Parts: sequence; structure tokens; C-alpha cells
Amino acid sequence: MKIPDVGTTCKMNISTVTIGALKEEGGTRGRKVTIGGECTLPHLTFDGDNPHKPVIAGYVSDIVPDWPDFLQKAIGKEIHSPDEWAQKCVEDFKVDLISIKLLGGSSERANRSPEDCAKLIETLLKAVEVPLIIWGSGDMEKDRLILQECSQAARGENCLLGSATESNYMTMAAICKADKHKLISEAPVDINIGKQVNILLEDAGFNLDDVVMFQTTAALGYGFDYVYTIMERARIAGLQGDKLMARPQLCDIGEEVWRTKEATMGEDILPRWGDVKKRGPMWEAVCAQGYLQAGADLLIMAHPEAIRTVRKFIA
Amino acid sequence: MHLVQFSRLEKSVRVKSGTSLLDAARKAGIELNTNCGGEGICGKCAMIIIEGDMRDRITWPFTRRQRDEGYVLACLSHIYNDLSVDIPGIILHGKTAVPLSGDKDDSHVSTDNLLHYKTLPVVQKIYIKLEKPTLFNGQADHQLVSDEVKKRLNIPTMQMGLKIIETLPRVLRNNHYNVTITVGLRRDIAEIMDIEAGNREDSNYMIIVDMGTTTIVAQLVNAHWRSTIDQATCYNSQSVHGSEVTGRMIHAERKGSAVLQEIIVGDINRLIRILTDRNGITPENITAVICSGNTAMEHFLLGLSTSNIRRKPFIPVTVEPPPLRAGEVGLEVNRRGLLYSLPGISGWVGSDLTAGILALQMHRQEGLSLLIDIGTNGEIILGNREWLMAASASAGPALEGASVECGMRAEPGAIEKVTIESGEIQYRTIDGEDPVGICGSGIMDLVSVLLNEKIINRSGLFIDEKRTAILGDTQKRCFYLKKDSIYITEKDLENIITAKAAIFAAVNILMKRLSLKFSDLETIYLAGAFGNYLSIESAVNIGLLPPMTSDKIQFVGNTSLKGAKLAAFYQDAFSELTSIRHMTTYYDLLGADDYVEEFRKAMFLPHTDINYWRTVS
Repeated sequence: MKIPDVGTTCKMNISTVTIGALKEEGGTRGRKVTIGGECTLPHLTFDGDNPHKPVIAGYVSDIVPDWPDFLQKAIGKEIHSPDEWAQKCVEDFKVDLISIKLLGGSSERANRSPEDCAKLIETLLKAVEVPLIIWGSGDMEKDRLILQECSQAARGENCLLGSATESNYMTMAAICKADKHKLISEAPVDINIGKQVNILLEDAGFNLDDVVMFQTTAALGYGFDYVYTIMERARIAGLQGDKLMARPQLCDIGEEVWRTKEATMGEDILPRWGDVKKRGPMWEAVCAQGYLQAGADLLIMAHPEAIRTVRKFIA
Repeated sequence: MHLVQFSRLEKSVRVKSGTSLLDAARKAGIELNTNCGGEGICGKCAMIIIEGDMRDRITWPFTRRQRDEGYVLACLSHIYNDLSVDIPGIILHGKTAVPLSGDKDDSHVSTDNLLHYKTLPVVQKIYIKLEKPTLFNGQADHQLVSDEVKKRLNIPTMQMGLKIIETLPRVLRNNHYNVTITVGLRRDIAEIMDIEAGNREDSNYMIIVDMGTTTIVAQLVNAHWRSTIDQATCYNSQSVHGSEVTGRMIHAERKGSAVLQEIIVGDINRLIRILTDRNGITPENITAVICSGNTAMEHFLLGLSTSNIRRKPFIPVTVEPPPLRAGEVGLEVNRRGLLYSLPGISGWVGSDLTAGILALQMHRQEGLSLLIDIGTNGEIILGNREWLMAASASAGPALEGASVECGMRAEPGAIEKVTIESGEIQYRTIDGEDPVGICGSGIMDLVSVLLNEKIINRSGLFIDEKRTAILGDTQKRCFYLKKDSIYITEKDLENIITAKAAIFAAVNILMKRLSLKFSDLETIYLAGAFGNYLSIESAVNIGLLPPMTSDKIQFVGNTSLKGAKLAAFYQDAFSELTSIRHMTTYYDLLGADDYVEEFRKAMFLPHTDINYWRTVS
């Protein structure tokens, strides 16, 4: 008996977002990254071919994160210098782009000035030729100033800026429009707020074709299933014709996974859980691969071994 | 002055701007047999506008075809232009039947449907002239009266208390056997409640009460003329024990039901006193009190336990209380006066809804209609003459003007309408008095205007610093509608959005469960204690209502009160409430696993599914 063709076509394609601008486009990047454009759910190749493979951004921050020694060692001594860390990410870990978190700008940490943050962005732009994702410090008030400075410093480079929420979307939309950057719209694991932030951005005159959605990320074992479901629903809604949800999606894997005890605690604390040096990167890789199935287009990752594993899976 | 011509009757009259069409007709010497006294419920003052513009015409209860032909209710239509008017024959008092213009199509809520109620009020006064007894024809006083009443009303059995029988010899003989008997119906049993000297038929007064969780509305009516005399409202004083009924139920469990009974009875008595004093009527002439309200309020009124209503499986003590002596619960009317609590549906869907169905005649319509009754509990009825479904959603009192800092009830001085005219935000108050606050309809208009003007965003947060201000010495940002006195804050906006979201979510779930689309509905009725004005456009713009063409949506005012009045005026309308109760199924949203999701979706202006609003409107 012949197996019937059950392939279906979706009503709408996910929008395509390109990050980074080459010299001839007014930037200084050596390469660009394009995500999105899906016409079907991940891995359903019988329905159609999704044009762009998911990409991996290397996690870089301006201060050394509170990470276990084995992870810091795996990255190397470069972790103490953001530009060298970024270079290593590109050259050795083979990431597609760099995600820089300006954690030191927070008044609770190093309380760096917005100008210092902007200088770091300039340094990074010189250090690597891949596109940048730029995040603030997590300090709401301060981030308004930090992101404004950094955005200007990277003007024309077509970076991806994070992030717009219900409370700061007006400022973020204005900054990104002025300096020609793409924007991350963020929601706290809530599909409705995710959509609402996009509507608000549209109302503020921001083109949703320049938006990447971020439903916050939960590490495996910490609400992974909630985020997975929401991302999947958002993707299905987009493919079925909901223009507001037909946007590429981002997952911040490194940040979340390297806070869990499963990825960081040795066998002295978790007996019979196996060697943490293997378990940690495996936790990060498995978490990332799970989200790829939910419809993630862009993953931010930290451990070189995990990056390698996921890279193999994507290819 | 405007000229109004009643062309076919060859009569015309000049009246002042703002005069009601009904008054103009009376001035022209046209007697209309209206029953409700200008409340827009009897539908007997239907007129057709042939020429001229009727600015504020209210379209209920006509079919679309009739509306296209210019049908209006004369009692609710005011004159601001010269008009030429026709009167359909059916309503003319007694004589000449002018042929009905336009055929009587399948009209659902048409005036005709209200005409089928022909019976007497639940309590009547009848004037009887008895033959003086003689030696040859000597019946006892009691039997003489009772036989005459039985014959007149065609009822087999009758009760009369000793207190009344005692007075018979004196009252009969002092008045040459010409007396007025008050007869009350207690289910199938008629009871002689009073005997008075002479003809007192037309002093049969009743009090109609809509007992809302937040607002209580009472009307004084004359049941003989079937007319409304006056109305008074107050906030429900039980609010001190919780703004929602659940809080009050908990209080009643701790302190006893009597505490809450005393408060509601006190409120109603206060309203009765205001109404009787204002109109020079003694409470002794009030023969009945007819109450509708949610089931918890009815329980509080009767002093019944509400404990099981708030616990699974949510069982009330009664949903159809029998008529009682009003004095038994402490109501200060005629000492033998009756208290009728209308039958409700379940612990969470009360008689305000059955009354609403009755008022709108939803149980007789062929097409599907949806009734959304905005109150502290938003209540929803969906169906037609074959089936009816009910649901309720806890909305909070924001749309009634409570829980909004400058909110108030719909009464003189309340801002009831907010518009934008050539870039300026304008408002209108009830009766044109100086503004003292904003009522429900004004609140909806205001949110809609603020949204359109981009002063707030779709989440209900202020986004325009220039046109907003910091409130006094607080940190709160607000928008001043009237300089330094009437304003709205983000917290107010949140309460309003929460209220409309709770109601819309309930509507959406009910529609989903029945696999219906909004386009399947023939009519959406929006009811509530809003006063006389409500903008459908604003209600759609903020997402309280789905986007539908405005001729499908009708604002019908306080249907709880209208239905209760119909039940008071017509015994058969009253008994229909029981069949309405039986044909209505209650759908419990507490068991709906998608309620929270639908609610979250609706917590946005107008809705997270914004494209639906954009495509239809």
C-alpha cells in the first residue's frame, strides 16, 4: 500500500531577521547572520524546507560570571577579558555571533558608567567580525542610559538589542529605530504578554520584521516544559497566520543552565549523578536541543563542548 | 419650538426642544394606552418617524426592518427638530385603527410580543359595589365579599385573615357596601389583604427593587395604571463587608445572616421612604415589593444561609422563594403587603438574569441573542426560544463607578459621556449639572478616548507625559478630565480592564463551548445600571464587546428592573419566569480550565487577538 502524502502547507512564513551590517551596508561586520523564514515546524522536512538553520551566539559578559571552575577553565583565561573571550568564541568555539551582557553596569555590581559600557562595545566591534547581540545590566533604570549609549556606539552595525518589555518598549523602540538595530521583545513566560509587547511595539511605530521574540528561558528541570509549550504555541500561531507571532525566537541557554545545581554541583553534593565536567555541558546541550524542537532560531550558549554538540545536531 | 405633525391623524403641535415625543402626542390630544409610564418597557408608544431627524432614538425593541422604517419608542425619544410622525394603529386607545405601516414580519422582540401579557398585576385592588343584605337575601358579610371577589376574578378559593374579617361589618356599613378589596396572589392561592372605603382601585402602588451587589435601584410604580412614578438609587451598604458577595457570605457565616439582612432591608426601606415621601404616598398603600437580584442578595434579603452557595457544589437554599409577607423580613409597607422574590437559576445566576430574559423576551426569539449584564458579577445569557445558557464572571464594581477613584453611580452630576471634538476632550454630565464624578458609561468612553488619543497604551499605562500629571503629592500619574478635581489613575485603568476582561472571557468561553461565532448572533444586548446613555462604540473599542456592526448591538439599560416590573404588572409574565428558570442551563466557569487563559488574553485594549478587532471593525 502506498503511504499517503500527509504534508501540509502553513498559511504564513515566519519573518526573516538579518543581524549585522557589512561594510557596503554601512557597518563593519565581516559576516551577517540571518534567522527565521520558517514555513513549517522544526524537523518536518516533508512539509517544506526551512531556509535558515538555527544559529548559536557565544555568551560573553563584561564581568566574569559566577560560574563553576570547570566551565571557566573550559573557556580559558580569556574569560577575564571580554574582547579576547569573544574572539575565542568565534575562532575556537565557532559561534555565529556574540551576545554581550553588560552586567557590570548594574549599580549592584561594578556600577560602570554608560560611557564605559559603550567603549567596551566599540572594542568588541573591533575584536570580532561577527554581529553582536547587546544586553543591558538587568538594572531597569540604568539600562535606559546604558543601552542608549551602546546603541549609538554601534550605530549602523545592525545589532540585536535586548530587550523590550511592557515597561520600556517605547524607549527601546526609539533607540533601535534611530540607530538601525534589531530588537528583542521579551515576555515573562506568558504567550499573551509576548503578543501584547509586539502589539505595543507596532503601536509605537516599530516594524515587527525587525523583532526577535524572547519568552525568557528556563533551564532543563526549572520550568523547561512551560517555556517549550509557549514557544511551540507561538510558532504554530505564527505559521497559522498570526502575523504578530510569526517572528523568530531566541533562547538564553547559557545564562539559565549555569545557575542550576544539576549543571554545576560535583558528585560530592550529588552522588551517583556522574562527573559534573561531562554532566554540565551535557545539561546545556540537551536543554538547547529541546528548545530547537520548540522552534528556537537563536541560542545563546557558553560551554565550548555544549556548543560543539549542538552544532553537530544542527548541521 | 419645533413643529410636530401627526400627519394621518391630522393633528400637529409645537413643543420645546427636548420634549419627549410621547408628551408631544399627549399635548396634541392623542391618548396613548401606554402601560409602563415612559420606561421603554411596554412598547406601546411605538411611533414611526416619517420626516425629520430623531437624534437620540432608542431602537429597542424593534426589528431591524422596523428600525429602518423609522420606528421609535415615543417615551424615550426627544424632539430637537421639526418632525412628521405616524402612529401604528395597535396602540391607539380604544377607537380608530390606523392600519399598521409595514407588515408584521417575524419580529422577535417586537412590540407585539409584549402585548401578549394581558393579565392582572400580582396584587390588585378591585372596587366592588355590593347589594345591601335584606331579610330575604341575607348572606354573611364574609361570604358576601368573598363570593363577589371570586366571581369577579374567576378564582375558586380565597383566603381572608381574621384581622380583615373583623373589620368587615364596620367598613361595609359605613360605606354603603361600596368598598375596594386588595387581592394578592400567593402562587395559586388568592388572599384578601385589605378592605378600604370607596373606590381606591387606582392607588395600587408597588415597589420594584433591583438588588445589585454594588447598587440598589428602587422604583415606585402604580400597578393599576401600570406606570412608573419615580426612581431612587443607593449604593448597597453591605459593601462594608466586602465589595463582592463572597466576602459578605463569609461575614454572614461568622456573624449570622441576620446582620446582612438588616442592612439590605434598611437600604430598601430607606429607598421606599424617599419614594413615598417624595410622591405623597403613604407606605400603607404599597401593596407589594418585587425584588430581583443575584441569588446571594435574595438570600441575604430573606435571611437565608449562603454558606453552601460558595462551596462546591454551590447549592443555594432556594432559587424560587414563595411570596412572603413583606413585614416578615422587616420591609415597611402595608402590613399585609407581599414580598415577591423572583425565581433565579442557580447559586451564581440570580433572578436579575431571569428578569433580564423576560424583559428582552429572549426565551421567545427564534434567532440567537446574547445578553451581557454588567454588574459586580458580570452575567451572561446566550440562547433563543429553544435553549438558554447562563454564566457569570466576577468582574468587580469598576464598570459601575465603584473601585475607580473618581467613579460614581449614574446620577445627576455624573460624567456619562466623554468625546473628542476637534482635538479637545469634552464631557457631558447627567442632567447637565456640575461634574462630581464619572459613572460607568463615562468611564468606558474615557478609556476609549484615552486609547484613541494615545494617552494610554493598550496595556492601560500612560504613555503621554505632556497630557498627564502627577496626582497631588503622590507618585501616581493621572489624567485630569476636569482640572484638579476629576481624574483617572493607572490603578483605576487596571480595575476597569480587569472588569471588562472577566466579562469578555466568560462570553468567549460560552461561545466556544457551543461552537458559535459572534457572527452567528442576531443581537447582543448590553444591560446594566448605566443611566440613559452608553456608547456601543466605546464598549467595542475597549474590548468589552466583540467587534460587530453597531446595529446588532443594543444597549437596553437595567433589564433586571424592567423584567421585575413586567412580572409585577402581569401575572402570566410572572409565571413565565418559572419556565425561563427551567429552560436555562448554568455553565460554571469555575470548572473551565481555559478561563485564566481567556482572561489574560482579554487583559489588553481591546484584546490580545487584536487582528480580530481590526478585521471586523
